[in-house]
Amino acid sequence: MSKLVCKKCVLDSDIPGIQINEDTGLCHFCETYAPLTSQEKNEYLSRIGELFKQYRGKGNYDVIYALSGGKDSSYTLYKLKKDYPFLKIRAVQFDNGFTSENAIKNAQKMCKITGCDYFQLTMEKEVLYNTFRKAAESYDAFPKFAKYRASDICNVCITIIKQKLIEQAILQKAPFIIFAFTAGQSPNPIINLSVNFIQWSRNLFEKQLQKIGVDDKDEMFLLKKEVLENIGENVPSILHPLCLWDYSEDKVLETLLEIGWEPPGISDSNSTNCTLNSFACYNHLEKYGFHPYAFDVAGLVRSGEMSREEGLEKINQELSQPLIEEAARKLKLKIKSSQKVIVKI
Amino acid sequence: MEQIRNDIVDYLKANSFMDNNSSLNDNDSLTQKGIIDSIGLLELMDYICEKYSIEIPEDLLTPENFDSLQGITNMITKLAK
Ligand SMILES: [Zn+2]
Repeated sequence: MSKLVCKKCVLDSDIPGIQINEDTGLCHFCETYAPLTSQEKNEYLSRIGELFKQYRGKGNYDVIYALSGGKDSSYTLYKLKKDYPFLKIRAVQFDNGFTSENAIKNAQKMCKITGCDYFQLTMEKEVLYNTFRKAAESYDAFPKFAKYRASDICNVCITIIKQKLIEQAILQKAPFIIFAFTAGQSPNPIINLSVNFIQWSRNLFEKQLQKIGVDDKDEMFLLKKEVLENIGENVPSILHPLCLWDYSEDKVLETLLEIGWEPPGISDSNSTNCTLNSFACYNHLEKYGFHPYAFDVAGLVRSGEMSREEGLEKINQELSQPLIEEAARKLKLKIKSSQKVIVKI
Repeated sequence: MEQIRNDIVDYLKANSFMDNNSSLNDNDSLTQKGIIDSIGLLELMDYICEKYSIEIPEDLLTPENFDSLQGITNMITKLAK
């Protein structure tokens, strides 16, 4: 059967598990898609505003913020502080060993502009490289749907960030953790965590790490047990305000450039801050045969945050060979260097 | 009961948590079988709350209640009463 591409988003029938309805021309995600209405978005926003008022000023910080230095997280921090100037925010940047210098500069600059505290979470490079190497070498370590959302390498990295941000929130008694996920990436604007759930997530990640051959006995990546035991009454909530705001990549970039954020020099259309990303995509394509950003981009297109043409262009673009080679060198992994890496989708 | 179980399986299949042709026993662990992880759990919880108009109290958020079709079905039946 020839390849069918969903009329609305960018998913196609060559991706395992994706079926395009021949009558409607849509994938099953688009067929069942029910976005938040603007009324629902406003309701969420006013709930978030009330939560801020109710819980602010009780801990060392009000918000632990996940700042990558990339455009989305830089913009969200800026707008957050503009809309809620009273928030005391600690922005945490995780240096995974591949964070570009430009991203670090931008993150620090954004904190200065917005008056937030900057905290860089660093870990021993060799341990990180070793972990990402094992993620690259693993196969099917993550559930099927997780593989659809991101590469194995990105899944490990983002889970480390989540674990450590929850840890920070508990230690700083901060009631909120904020990520800059767009509507295409996260349909859920407010997530109330519970101790049981945090505990369970921690154990699941521990098992996933073991599955790829990483024994995190020093709890470098995992939320520290001791911290979780002393959580007390204040269990943090996770908020995704960006998915409630109007979003367009152009508008975000325009705002950022105006305030002095510097566009990255790296040539990776999917990440403006991580030099491991191209390799992670290459690795995922080699292993599973589809682009790890396909679902992410499809979500953005479906929600209208990105045009379909732009989306198709993004996932069909060639990956950056120099970035792939550089990352492979650091991870001591071989790549197929003879032929050009072309994204097939 | 049977209806709830089928709804959950349909949801898992429609959202790519599991393959259309794979089967799942009522007591299989969703996490150990690699069907779901912590992010997937959050989404499943959301789906259940909305679909059955229930709120899941925090103390029920345990692997016993959430890690198998049997556990989920029992929990929903209990809460939906
Ligand atoms: Zn679609």
